[in-house]
Amino acid sequence: MISSLKKNAKILVFSTEKISDPAIDMAGLLKLHYPPTVYTITVPCSSGIKPSWIMHAFEKGFDGVFIAADGTDCVFGESCTEKTGKVVSMTHEKMKQNDLDPARLRMAALCSVCSDAFIRQVRSLNEYLIKTRYSEK
Amino acid sequence: MKKKLGVYICHCGGNISDYVDVEKVRQAIEHEEGVVLAKTTMFACSDSNQKEMVDDIHQYQLDGVIVASCSPKLHLVTFRNVTETAGLNKYTYVHANIREQASWAHSDDKEGATEKAIRLVKAAISKSSYAEALYPNKFEARKTIAVIGAGIAGMKAALSIAEKNTAVVLIEKENSIGGHVAEWGSLFMSNEKGYELVNRIHNNLLQHENISILTGTEVISSKGNIGNFTLTLQKKSKSIDNTKETMEINVGSVVVATGFDHYIPQEGEFSYLHNRNIISLPDFKKLIDKSTEKTLIYNGKEIHDIAYIYCVGSRQTDGDNKYCSRFCCTSTIHTAIEAKKKFKRIHNFHLHRGIRTYGKQELLYDEALQNGDIFIQFYDDFPPEVSSIGKKTSLKVKDLLSSDKELLLDVDLVVLVTGMVPRMDQSVGQLFKLPKGRDKFYNEIHMKLRPVETVIDGITLAGTCQGPKNISESVNSALSAATKSYSYISKGLVETEPIIAKINADACVWCGECLNACPFEAIEQKEVHGKKIATVNKSVCKGCGMCAPVCLPNAIDLIGYSDKEIFSMIDALAE
Amino acid sequence: MEEKRKKIEYDALVVGAGIAGGETALNLANNGYKVLLVERDHSIGGKMILLSKVFPTLDCAACITTPKVSEIARHPNITVFTESEVTSIVKKTESLFIAQITKNPRFVHVEDCTACQLCEQACPVNVRDEYQFGLVGRKAAYIPFSIANPKAAVIDLEQCTLCGACERACPTHCIDFTMETDYFELQTKTVVLATGFRLFDPLKIPRFGYGKYKNVVTSMQMEREIAPTRPYHTILRPGDGKIPDRIAYVLCAGSRDDSVGNPICSQVCCMYSMKQAQLLMGALPMADITIYYIDIRSFGKGFEEFYQQAKDMGVSFVKGKIGKISEKENGNLMLRYEDIQEGKLKEAEHDMVVLSVGMLSNPSVNQIFEGEMLQLDALNFIQQSDLLGSPAKTSIDGVFVAGTASGPMDIPDSILSAGSASSEAISYLIQH
Repeated sequence: MISSLKKNAKILVFSTEKISDPAIDMAGLLKLHYPPTVYTITVPCSSGIKPSWIMHAFEKGFDGVFIAADGTDCVFGESCTEKTGKVVSMTHEKMKQNDLDPARLRMAALCSVCSDAFIRQVRSLNEYLIKTRYSEK
Repeated sequence: MKKKLGVYICHCGGNISDYVDVEKVRQAIEHEEGVVLAKTTMFACSDSNQKEMVDDIHQYQLDGVIVASCSPKLHLVTFRNVTETAGLNKYTYVHANIREQASWAHSDDKEGATEKAIRLVKAAISKSSYAEALYPNKFEARKTIAVIGAGIAGMKAALSIAEKNTAVVLIEKENSIGGHVAEWGSLFMSNEKGYELVNRIHNNLLQHENISILTGTEVISSKGNIGNFTLTLQKKSKSIDNTKETMEINVGSVVVATGFDHYIPQEGEFSYLHNRNIISLPDFKKLIDKSTEKTLIYNGKEIHDIAYIYCVGSRQTDGDNKYCSRFCCTSTIHTAIEAKKKFKRIHNFHLHRGIRTYGKQELLYDEALQNGDIFIQFYDDFPPEVSSIGKKTSLKVKDLLSSDKELLLDVDLVVLVTGMVPRMDQSVGQLFKLPKGRDKFYNEIHMKLRPVETVIDGITLAGTCQGPKNISESVNSALSAATKSYSYISKGLVETEPIIAKINADACVWCGECLNACPFEAIEQKEVHGKKIATVNKSVCKGCGMCAPVCLPNAIDLIGYSDKEIFSMIDALAE
Repeated sequence: MEEKRKKIEYDALVVGAGIAGGETALNLANNGYKVLLVERDHSIGGKMILLSKVFPTLDCAACITTPKVSEIARHPNITVFTESEVTSIVKKTESLFIAQITKNPRFVHVEDCTACQLCEQACPVNVRDEYQFGLVGRKAAYIPFSIANPKAAVIDLEQCTLCGACERACPTHCIDFTMETDYFELQTKTVVLATGFRLFDPLKIPRFGYGKYKNVVTSMQMEREIAPTRPYHTILRPGDGKIPDRIAYVLCAGSRDDSVGNPICSQVCCMYSMKQAQLLMGALPMADITIYYIDIRSFGKGFEEFYQQAKDMGVSFVKGKIGKISEKENGNLMLRYEDIQEGKLKEAEHDMVVLSVGMLSNPSVNQIFEGEMLQLDALNFIQQSDLLGSPAKTSIDGVFVAGTASGPMDIPDSILSAGSASSEAISYLIQH
């Protein structure tokens, strides 16, 4: 019997004002559905996200965090990709120190019209988190 | 900080309220800390609601306002201005997107959408309690505009700017100006030829002393911001001493008018390149324009029966180009009419997927029908088959218009009606980081509210680089873009957002990490009270925040995105 | 008695306050010029403010129009005259136009009206509501529509019985039957015509049964039924109030049709019909929608994708012109058409038919130029004297055209056309 009360994971998305946020808006515009437990905080650039913010999110009960990065489209230049990667690795360090599954943090570059990619990312992260945190043991 | 907040939750005429229970959201947040007023409204952006907001701010002495409605891309500026009208600092305004990111995204789950909207509004309320009065950076704007690309759009944009007594630099990669239009002979909806039109506009340009036209020149780098861009230009060809001449120009705004490329059919696509009698639309047009004989000759052969296969490279069912190239139906029919006028015994067979001669261009379709042209419509996924038999080329097609009869045509020439694709040379877009739409042309911010602006402040789009258009449409877009660029710099002063990095001098230990991280050289080392610390150059800082995560003592915050603000938003969302 | 004319002076005159006129006025005003925006109707916003949602993004039309309307209304450089008409324009010199403007009385002092609607409730007269395209009634003392600007009452004097009930009911005493027509003489330096379009009247095609069969409506009537400020609480057919579930769209009603004098394509009807179809499928999930077309013109940015979306949603597209529409006893309609794909004559039963009417020229402003005449094209649209080089220019130097006054176009094209017209007007002002 499949439980009809399938719980969705709580996911925090950091999106960027000029690149990935338009894609997330477009996902809404095109009525591409994703779990309503996915919340977005918009920042100017993904390379400016502090690891302490991500750790705080886990502390406060978020199952997963997804960084919708600018990638090579970043309006602030090419170094964004490398720096966003560094933010992720710094955070992974902290997560390991705190015994948190590093796969709870994901990052992917999303272009300003990449709505389908956004949907795929959050849905798959949601599936993973449900499987690892909420499935019957 | 004790705040008095007013919260407005928008129905958006049903766009939100059809899926999110806005009254429930209102009730859920009206007792949050700091909230003194919580209302729902049918259209937050309407004049009457804006007036009500101003009245409410005065009556309840609000010091912060939140509107939960559509994406901030539409009305952030509108609502910021409302708060400013009422005497508040416009940066104390906080916006919550409960349409694109709640009601629309979760229209399949009304309860979930409502829950999410409640949390998004709570997060906005939390952020609002930290929102401070900020003042935009004001600096002098360069009163010169650069126009990149001297096709019809670039030329008209330059002319429009010059007519407003503003200096303009018109930069063109090729050695001559006029783009595609200069190569064309007769044009549809006009008696003027393409090169005549270009010459006319060129002459107009020459009348203005404040226009510099630089041909054979490319833009190789760009630095700076709206109001002050420094562009490095380079000549394409080498000078006598074997170097390429470079120069720098300072401009306040840039109009991108880089145009389009013709779609080139792939080898074998409808026998292209395998059969000498298959030609693309631009090549066919050149043939018709330039031939002077009474009979049309191509590859040494007399041409009388011509077939046109429409939508090659556009409206692709498999393939990336899903869009319609807009101009080709009209252009093809016009060229077919010209061919019949100029040459003896021409028979035109149009194999199409629905003729799109929109607007007044419909009259050309009428004319072609009167001329005796045959129109055959094929199914989107059943394209005509092309094969060669001796000197003639044979086409097999299922005709929708005669209820799927299979027709065989033997023709002398097959024209593949090819559309527009974005330029292969994307260097200008990459230089300015211009985002692209789903069709891979450059993207405007909003098709109706901001059709010529891009997310890069100070850069506007003109002509076909934004999407397929005909000449009139390109000119309209060029003039709109020119006026927009002009309006950025015409007052001589530019305002930019005050979102920049802030360094806590007490916490800073001068490790130099922030200076290394900053791509714009906005961080300097200074000595303050005997201590070496990092400081931010306000006019250079672009507000990206790259310096913030690398600071070991956590001394850097981006204004508007401080730890306090982000943590409070996370708390509200995680509740 | 000679009317006393008040003399006024503005840098630019913009005739028509729809989206094109509004955008033109804003561009001019934002660049420091003083603009007089003259609108014949009681509210600014044109046709766009009455629409439901716009293609291809399905943004709500009001969401886009109302902030623009608000910006226009409160802009320090723009003065708006509603219920006003320009009766003549004479070009005196390259930089001087003299225009005569008649401001008709509204019989309500707009500054004092709070749009409380008490006058509406008190008024005993019911007439057809032209803002709802005849679907419902309104009173003779009325507020045009909920998002009108200015949001104030109007007295329709032609229908008014002068009973005075509204005057008595008004709490701010802003109703004033002694208001008179005002006459103005305007001195201005440039003129932009943005007088918009007229919708084709399907009474001209009797075989479609419009006006005879109650359940045959125009697309604008259906637009109002779908819009958030709709006349009914749901979508229903006017004949008996039943919620329809088999709706037909007849494209090219009055366009691409020499027999009614309009051989051109109206450019927007394919798109707005499939937009309405998508919205109807959302509002009435059990409904079947069929669009009968000749060619689908989805040529703009995002349009082809929108067309695909409509097909994916289950909207039926049938290639075939409608020959005749007849009515059954229960109010349903029989559509007789040639199914091109199958090569057969067929009949289909629908419970509601929407005629996708096209855009025709608006003749109102054409006669007003004295001296140097304004040229029109063969269909009475304002002639664009340099269509390719300067699409906003007309046959008179210093007079420009924006929006559908020059020919059919959709909203994005109207806005770019307004950008073009205001650009030319600004250049003209600077150069003269």
